[in-house]
Amino acid sequence: MAETTTSTDMSKGKNKSTAASSPAAGPGGSAEPLLDIQGLTLRLPASAAARPILDGIGLHVGRGETVGLVGESGSGKSVACRSVLGLLPRTAETEGAVRVNGTDVLGLDKQGLRDMRRNKVAMVFQDPRASVNPMRRVGAFLTEGLRVRGLSKADALARAEQLLEEVGIRDPKGALRKFPHQFSGGMLQRVVIAAALTGDPELLLADEPTTALDVTTQAEVVGILQRLQARHGTGMLFVTHDLELAAAICDRIYVMYAGRIVESQPAADLFARPRHPYTAGLLASTPRLDPDAEPPKPIPGRPVSLAEAPTGCAFADRCAFAEDRCRAEAPPLVTQGAVSVACLRADEGILP
Amino acid sequence: MLVLLVLAAVFAPLIAPYDPNEINLKNSLAGSSPDHWLGTDQSGRDLFSRLLYGARTGLLGPLAVVGVSTILGIAMGVVAAWRGGWVDSLLSRSMDLLFAFPAMLLAILCVAVFGAGMTAPVIAMMIAYTPYVGRLVRSIARQEQARPYIESYKVQGWSGWAICTRHLIPNITPTVLAQSAINFGYALAELAGLSFLGFGVQAPTADWGVMVNEGQSPLLKDVLMPALAPATAIMLAVVAFGIVGEGIADRIAKREK
Amino acid sequence: MTKEKIPAQASDPGETAGPLLEVAGLCRTFGDHKAVDDVAFTLAAGGSLGIVGESGSGKTTTARMLVGLETPDAGSIRVAGHERARQPRNRAERLRRAREIQMVFQDPYLSLDPRITVRDSIGEVLRLHAPELGKTGRAERLAELLDQVGLGAREAGAVPRRLSGGQRQRVAIARALAASPKVLILDEAVAALDVSIQAQILDLLVRIRREEGIAYLFVSHDLAVVKHITDDVVVLRNGRIVEAGRTAEVLANPQHPYTRLLIDSVPSEDWDPDRIAESRRALAALEA
Repeated sequence: MAETTTSTDMSKGKNKSTAASSPAAGPGGSAEPLLDIQGLTLRLPASAAARPILDGIGLHVGRGETVGLVGESGSGKSVACRSVLGLLPRTAETEGAVRVNGTDVLGLDKQGLRDMRRNKVAMVFQDPRASVNPMRRVGAFLTEGLRVRGLSKADALARAEQLLEEVGIRDPKGALRKFPHQFSGGMLQRVVIAAALTGDPELLLADEPTTALDVTTQAEVVGILQRLQARHGTGMLFVTHDLELAAAICDRIYVMYAGRIVESQPAADLFARPRHPYTAGLLASTPRLDPDAEPPKPIPGRPVSLAEAPTGCAFADRCAFAEDRCRAEAPPLVTQGAVSVACLRADEGILP
Repeated sequence: MLVLLVLAAVFAPLIAPYDPNEINLKNSLAGSSPDHWLGTDQSGRDLFSRLLYGARTGLLGPLAVVGVSTILGIAMGVVAAWRGGWVDSLLSRSMDLLFAFPAMLLAILCVAVFGAGMTAPVIAMMIAYTPYVGRLVRSIARQEQARPYIESYKVQGWSGWAICTRHLIPNITPTVLAQSAINFGYALAELAGLSFLGFGVQAPTADWGVMVNEGQSPLLKDVLMPALAPATAIMLAVVAFGIVGEGIADRIAKREK
Repeated sequence: MTKEKIPAQASDPGETAGPLLEVAGLCRTFGDHKAVDDVAFTLAAGGSLGIVGESGSGKTTTARMLVGLETPDAGSIRVAGHERARQPRNRAERLRRAREIQMVFQDPYLSLDPRITVRDSIGEVLRLHAPELGKTGRAERLAELLDQVGLGAREAGAVPRRLSGGQRQRVAIARALAASPKVLILDEAVAALDVSIQAQILDLLVRIRREEGIAYLFVSHDLAVVKHITDDVVVLRNGRIVEAGRTAEVLANPQHPYTRLLIDSVPSEDWDPDRIAESRRALAALEA
């Protein structure tokens, strides 16, 4: 599954290489966000899941902006991220819209999806080993995407070298001849990032790109992503379970729980003043290194599984502030200025 | 379909309208009729009855082959995987050696030694099938024993014997059974083949392989049924066991998700 | 490099006041790669020692050598003054080893037999290690263990597939405790869990140590978690110990540049990827 975007789909389109210039890029004024998801609902057949995997989520990413999408396992954050590339479970039923530059991804045919993946949106996955074909040299992996765009072999090699240099690989010429297993995880993730950049994407989707890496490597890979983003003005949707990491690199953060967005704020504010009890709980349960930090405080219970379909607020059972009405009615996401929060009691000052 | 097949084999004496070996030369090569559903063969024996009885010898042989080769294969494979080192090398090499030997050739050799009849080819095929199972078991056992749950049993202080018999083997058995079901089909076809060649079950016993053989001469007279009926039975049985094997494999794959 | 190679049985009953677990000169080489190189540390009874490092640091190999899943090339591992035999020769030795050190593995999805219910998987350990309890005694102990890790009757009858990651890790902890070990090794035991669940398990571990007086060897890459759960810490890099001391002191005042790099790498408000990359390169240059 993981290798589909970058390698497989590109190689499939080899014979149609030159027809790749954006077919439906609307004129789209600059006020329009680069990525705009509205009311996205995704349901699996009732036998597979009792509740929607995504339940009316909305989010947007502007050009050059880094937006975090944070949640625990089963929150739907990865599915939301994949939906932008049209990578959805086959049996899923969708509602809503996922617009990239004004084009609704959900309405695209195969060719349209391919063009979009090739030219506008790139994705970096969690496990770099799963994203590359272990039997092919890195050079082949990088140039196939470029060759599809009509570059000559020599040009493609030169460009691949340049890309590897951009992601901080020291001997790019030598690296092109190596096989994936000759790289460490961190180095291979750089190669994957370089591959993602081959199409000069406007939007980069990063699905836990550093989770499988060591902490010291994580910092370097994030640094590379940030630098490239600043240079090319790429918008980035950064999916992670690590609230601290998101806070350190993102402009804005969306917090997801059980398929819904429960809160969104500018990163610094979210960290300093969480408005949703779940966000607050998540922050309190994260162990801190700082010497006078409180010990982590767990959130009781466990995340809502796909087999459960709570009627009211999905977090109510784990929430210290929940009242009867929280279990009866699902809280809508209310936006005030830069803050959106889906909690019936958000305005009651329950959180400091 | 498999259930039907097994039922047919078990209850053949009750279902079969005629004695499978009752010769009635007056009624030789009769066509399909209410009396004889599939007609009769050259000697006027009822094809349907022979087919039913044939299922008995036809299923019993492969059952023995698959049963013994599965047990031996699991034992060899697990021991090789668990002990590793020279034990593994020794067992693996000996399995390779058996592998290099074509099953049919081995069977014919056995017949040469033990004489014609059911026993020789069945023993030969037990020997021939064991390395298939052994190799499969060895590779999946190696994967399985690297899993932390097996390691945690070691840490708990269990003996290798206890871990293998109580945890390792039960967890790999479904995968092995899937392969065994497919092997059953192959064994059935190969044993029928040997009978056809005259190395296995001997005429006039009702056996699908023997029946195909006997059906050859009617074929020259444009009477298809005596050869076609047992041949079809063999094919259907092989396919049925194949499907069952795939089914088990699919179920395992689903569970592992 | 190899300090000493103590012969297999060097038990000295007079030494009971010493540390519970004593590791010295531990080495393990894979091919030409030194995975663990002269590692030494001690762990007091009821203490908690963190082994911190990144992938390839040798921390997991060290843990595996302690429980006997890997054989050391050199060095000694002593529990309560008793040298741990390389290969247990008989059942009694095997069981004694198991009661010395138990381990909880990282992946809660792979560390339980998929066919066996929670009740049975803990029950069989009790049967092995506490046969003297009898049937009713074992049932009582089982209930006690389940209660201790916060699992109910519903979970007890379930196979692992029906449990969440956090619940499985609770089962793994209860199962390890069933052997009443003196030392519990937790090999990245909370790394695969969601943050909110991770905090629950950490709380549970803190409580169990307080109640049982069991000693922890907490193997982890996560400094913040180590800070919370351990008293002492050793920092491993490329198979060698680069720093050791009281956890609070090491984290507040790291001496080795690598420890400092590790601490700086943890995301925080003033996190600067470029500075981290730079000090990482500086460290690499220093080592080369």
